[in-house]
Amino acid sequence: MVVAAIKAKDYKSGVKPIWCPGCGHFAILAAITRALAYLELQKEQVSLISGIGCSSRLPAYVDSYGFHGLHGRALPLATGLKVARPDLTVLVAGGDGDGFSIGGNHFLHACRRNIDMTYIAMDNRVYGMTKGQASPTTAPDWSHSKMTPHGTGVRRFQPAAIALAAGATFIARGYSGDPKGLTRMLVDAITHPGFSFLHVLSPCLIFRPDQRSWKGEVHAFAAETSDEPVAAAQQIHADDGMGLGIVYAERLPVWPPRQEPTATLATLEKEFLV
Amino acid sequence: MSDLLSDDISSVPEFLAHALEMEVESAERYRELADNMEVHNNSVVAALFRRLSVEGDAHAEQVKQRAKKYKLPSIAPWDFKWACPDGPESAAMDDVHYLMSRRQAVQLSLHNEIRGHDFYRQVAVGSSDAEVRGIAAEMAEEEATHVAMLRDWLTREIDDQQPSLVDLDPPNTPE
Repeated sequence: MVVAAIKAKDYKSGVKPIWCPGCGHFAILAAITRALAYLELQKEQVSLISGIGCSSRLPAYVDSYGFHGLHGRALPLATGLKVARPDLTVLVAGGDGDGFSIGGNHFLHACRRNIDMTYIAMDNRVYGMTKGQASPTTAPDWSHSKMTPHGTGVRRFQPAAIALAAGATFIARGYSGDPKGLTRMLVDAITHPGFSFLHVLSPCLIFRPDQRSWKGEVHAFAAETSDEPVAAAQQIHADDGMGLGIVYAERLPVWPPRQEPTATLATLEKEFLV
Repeated sequence: MSDLLSDDISSVPEFLAHALEMEVESAERYRELADNMEVHNNSVVAALFRRLSVEGDAHAEQVKQRAKKYKLPSIAPWDFKWACPDGPESAAMDDVHYLMSRRQAVQLSLHNEIRGHDFYRQVAVGSSDAEVRGIAAEMAEEEATHVAMLRDWLTREIDDQQPSLVDLDPPNTPE
């Protein structure tokens, strides 16, 4: 019998998730640990960064390095880490509110910088931790919150389209109800050189029980993965928001480029000697 | 192929790799559900899932013992040949609710065991390898005893009249 060197369950910490039973985030956690095990990444070589929200609790549940940061600030934290420690595999996890509302500006710049890290946006189209308010990806007519009794009346944020426009080099959409497909997508995202954006539909069955219907609504993207931004844009705009797969993957130079230092540490320190 | 199999499982090591993954995943899933129900103060269902996870560990150990003399292939998570999102014996993560009753939990586990049984039975009928068919048939028989045990729980042990759990601070939606 062959025993795998490292198993998915080895990446699970002893902290019990407080997510509600039935939450899609459990399947994403499982897919992350399976992908890490498949890639045989050592725990000390992985860092998982998050902001605030239900999904942002994820670093506590993974036995690797991690940082549970400020609301919307996971991407800048991860950017700093990856630039300082390019040897690490850096994953960023967060929700639709954290990533697309308060962290929206950071999302744009993370996409355009093309730093080699993976951003997993766990989208349930609601602020679950604060008991069910509309988020940037909520449909404008969703009226099941006291805060928006007539719906928000605001068009939804389109994560994949915006990621493409901002310059992301890997864009995919997964679904927590498809753990096998999601694991494979995560492996592809982590091994992609550059910024990989994985938008995961993850139902919140407590505040959005209507999302049970997603099982019957998700479908594969109509076309294969493209490395042409125009073709990818057409695919994203023609889709109903429930298409699954890697819609765009292109290899472009990763930032920061390898450069020789212009000064040694000793030289710099001399400048500050009193 | 059948409704739970996407392709032929054509060697004993390949079959046992599938069986081991299915049993280990099932036991771990029950353990996760037990932990999760404890966190959400549904202690009755947590205890039931905990018991099922212990039973699941024992089944996984049986498969491990059977697999000892073989070199099992390493299979990528997405390459297992079951035609369902997770292993056939694992409850889908969205099939549970924090207010679920003990009866609903047994129904869920019965559903899982039936699928486990059906998976082995479909291999026993459909594999191109005679030895695989033989071992799968034995394992299907064993799963049938688990199915019978859970049916027995459902009819004799579980009180149909158990009051539903109530959340005194329910989620603020829909109104």
